[in-house]
Amino acid sequence: MSENTTLRMEGILKEFPGVVANDHVDLSVERGEIHGLLGENGAGKSTLMKILYGLYSQDDGEIYFQGERLDLESPQDAIDAGIGMVHQHFMLIPRLTVAENVVLGEREPATVFREDAGEESWLPASIRNNGLVQSLAGTFSLGLDVPEQRIQELADRYGFDIDVSAKIWELDVGQQQRVEILKALYRDVDLLILDEPTAVLTPTEAERLFESLERLTDEGLSIIFITHKLKEVDAVVDRVTVLREGKNVGTAEVSSVTRADLAEMMVGREVLFEIDREAVDLGEPVLRARGVSAEDDRGIEALSGVDLTVRQGEVVGIAGVSGNGQKELAEVMAGIRDPTAGELVVGGTDITGAKPKRFVENGVSFVPEDRLRYGCAEDLSVMHNATMKDFGGAAFGDRGFLDYGKLESYAETLVDEFDVRGVRDVTETAAGDLSGGNLQKLILAREIYRNPDLLIANQPTRGVDVGAIEFIRETLLEQRKEGTGIILLSEDLDEIFDLSDRILVVYEGEFVHETTPAEADRERIGLEMTGGSGGESASDPTATHAEVTQESES
Amino acid sequence: MNVAIDVNAREDVPAWLAYGTPVFTVLAALAVSAVALQLLDVNPLAAYATMFVETLTTEFGLTETLVKAVPLILTGLAVYLPLKAGLFNIGAEGQLIAGALAGTWVGLNVSLPGLALVPLMFAAAAVAGAVWAGIPAWLRAKWDVNEIITSLLLTFVALEIQSYLLRGPMQGGTGNFPQSARFSDAATIPELYSGVHAGLLVALAMVVVTYVMMTRTRLGFEITFVGSNHEAAQQAGMSRYKVYLLVFVVGGAFAAMGGISEIAGAQGRYRAAFEPGYGFTAIPIALLGRNSAVKVLLAGLFFAVLFVGGSSMEVAFGVPAALVEIIQALVILFLITAEFFKNYRVSLDFDRGPSGAAVEPQGGDD
Repeated sequence: MSENTTLRMEGILKEFPGVVANDHVDLSVERGEIHGLLGENGAGKSTLMKILYGLYSQDDGEIYFQGERLDLESPQDAIDAGIGMVHQHFMLIPRLTVAENVVLGEREPATVFREDAGEESWLPASIRNNGLVQSLAGTFSLGLDVPEQRIQELADRYGFDIDVSAKIWELDVGQQQRVEILKALYRDVDLLILDEPTAVLTPTEAERLFESLERLTDEGLSIIFITHKLKEVDAVVDRVTVLREGKNVGTAEVSSVTRADLAEMMVGREVLFEIDREAVDLGEPVLRARGVSAEDDRGIEALSGVDLTVRQGEVVGIAGVSGNGQKELAEVMAGIRDPTAGELVVGGTDITGAKPKRFVENGVSFVPEDRLRYGCAEDLSVMHNATMKDFGGAAFGDRGFLDYGKLESYAETLVDEFDVRGVRDVTETAAGDLSGGNLQKLILAREIYRNPDLLIANQPTRGVDVGAIEFIRETLLEQRKEGTGIILLSEDLDEIFDLSDRILVVYEGEFVHETTPAEADRERIGLEMTGGSGGESASDPTATHAEVTQESES
Repeated sequence: MNVAIDVNAREDVPAWLAYGTPVFTVLAALAVSAVALQLLDVNPLAAYATMFVETLTTEFGLTETLVKAVPLILTGLAVYLPLKAGLFNIGAEGQLIAGALAGTWVGLNVSLPGLALVPLMFAAAAVAGAVWAGIPAWLRAKWDVNEIITSLLLTFVALEIQSYLLRGPMQGGTGNFPQSARFSDAATIPELYSGVHAGLLVALAMVVVTYVMMTRTRLGFEITFVGSNHEAAQQAGMSRYKVYLLVFVVGGAFAAMGGISEIAGAQGRYRAAFEPGYGFTAIPIALLGRNSAVKVLLAGLFFAVLFVGGSSMEVAFGVPAALVEIIQALVILFLITAEFFKNYRVSLDFDRGPSGAAVEPQGGDD
């Protein structure tokens, strides 16, 4: 152990009924480094960090932080010791300001009651310093002036452009994440745990986050960066520890290992980054869309008269910066959003404006972008979720009655064939208990096993671990050979290039460029995605709410 | 001295706790109520003996319980079914009244033999209840109007209509009381056994219908799915509109059957204050029984015991009727609290250190 080691976790063991989540894991983090914690979903990264943050207690093993042995019973203990954590899902209150969110739980008394207020308070020091008065004031009064100054100073020091008196709902996702980081910094942490921080960010926002993180480590902070994206490991991490099935597979200097090495450590076998794509003869058109327009949820036109034809065995990749009409395009093609103009012909039948049920019956399958909202019912069992599109079929019972035994065996088939892990019993395990990658496999299984004519996959591999990404991509290509026409919407250009037969670039609700992977010029595509040379990035992180309002008023 | 309260979600609910909590909490509710009884100079043990032992061991107590259980089970189902689709039917009371009025009108104005008249009364009641429940359901399905508010407010509309009809067009019998004329024998629901009428069979049949619908049919699958995530359900081609309308309409019909059963089976005529708010008691019944129609049946029976036992205690010990309601309310509160303790482990930590610093753990604390 070098002198510089700030955190040492030794032989951490954590068992849940039936699973060993952490099997004698060691981890050491040095001062001022960004330490990557890499592993597939379910490898035990989150469990290990929850132990470090006092949310779980370990069954065995010790934690030493800055030379002292830690005995953590709650996150408060961890914060007191100097360990902070930014969760994947933000814990912010939208109606409160940045400052209010940051001091939440800290019990800052109003200035008059502050012990060190001096001349600023009209209360005599003897009363102010009374223990009872202090505890009452801490509980019932809130002073924001002093903290606000401190928070602004912190924000400025680390280059976070945040107005501390802005309300959380006025901020974009990237800014909200910086507020979460500020929350930890305000509590004087020396070690910051970031749980998959880029899962919710656009690539530009992620870049900004990486810059901020480097500034933090320059100040002597240590960071543990949980991720399953190899690209990010390359981008920011100094050293990386890989977990697989609850065990520590090794720690390495990022500069001395290749991506392929890391992927192999994570998955336990060689991972193919290049996928072989056999040529498939294109058949009849499965989808013909003409002049389709649609509005977004706020009633603003998001799709302006697009034409799209997809043929049997063809993968049409749609590239674009998020928020340029992809969501609406996918939803219109899947039948869950009514187009405002244009016509949709699926397999020769015009089903423009029909109910979602007609689309399902006409062989349209849909892998939605938001898995938890549209893709599954997280409280219901794997069985319910595996059969939610097909339970109406004749295979599952006579007329109105339903044979649950058959539903169960159908779900078991899907789980087996698509290697969905973490399912104890298809009727007992809830979809929401599956990890992101496994849930996505289940959704894909459900959509593909019915052998659709048209499959719309919106961000099918977002937030999914390397092993599952490989599986999902191969499955899509496999299905293409079966003659399914596939619309693939993805923000990951590599994915579009690897899987598509034809690439369309969408910008502000229109297709602005069409090419094939063989002929494509990446720079040109990048340019077209952002609206050509004159255009600006659609999601400018510095745009504030005030500016947006002004624009709409003028 | 600092007291720290620690609440943790349980990873597994032990079996003894799952089955034991309802029992423990009922006992706890009774223990708290005992204080009030003691203050009224009533021996709590004797009072409880009357309330439960007498109700469950005498023929009168048992038959009364079954009679009271009929509207409670049916209105319980009326709340339970929408609950499965993620909706709150707070207006089972109004649906019960609408059904009772429609059924009574048929019973008093149509002359048919009993075998045809009673089913016709049930059918009329069911239609009225379905319409009464269909209004909030349609408003919710079509326009997203909050069904809690509309179904509750329609209850007051139903009460006013009842009040008008019983003082006006439907008023009957001797004197000027707000009540209808007595039913003919043909319009009375046949008795099964000393006071227990055939409405009980209807209630049991509806429990079976609901149970089968929820666990064996495609419709039940759709209801469950829409109730859990209606956006995913719509994406899969299910119709939220259909499900919302259906659960309310069927639920309203159930509540209405409960209403006409009570009038034509137990009361013999429509009196203005013929029932103590079964439609509202139905809400805790459905919440307690929300996992299955069979549990709704059990919860309905339990509340019937509370109603019957409560009134025997009122008569035997002269305690105010309000006290009985307090006991019932406490039981409901404690049962709902029990759900929390079943799912979370609460541990108290007494820390006697001078400034909250950690002190040595005391032996036997763990």
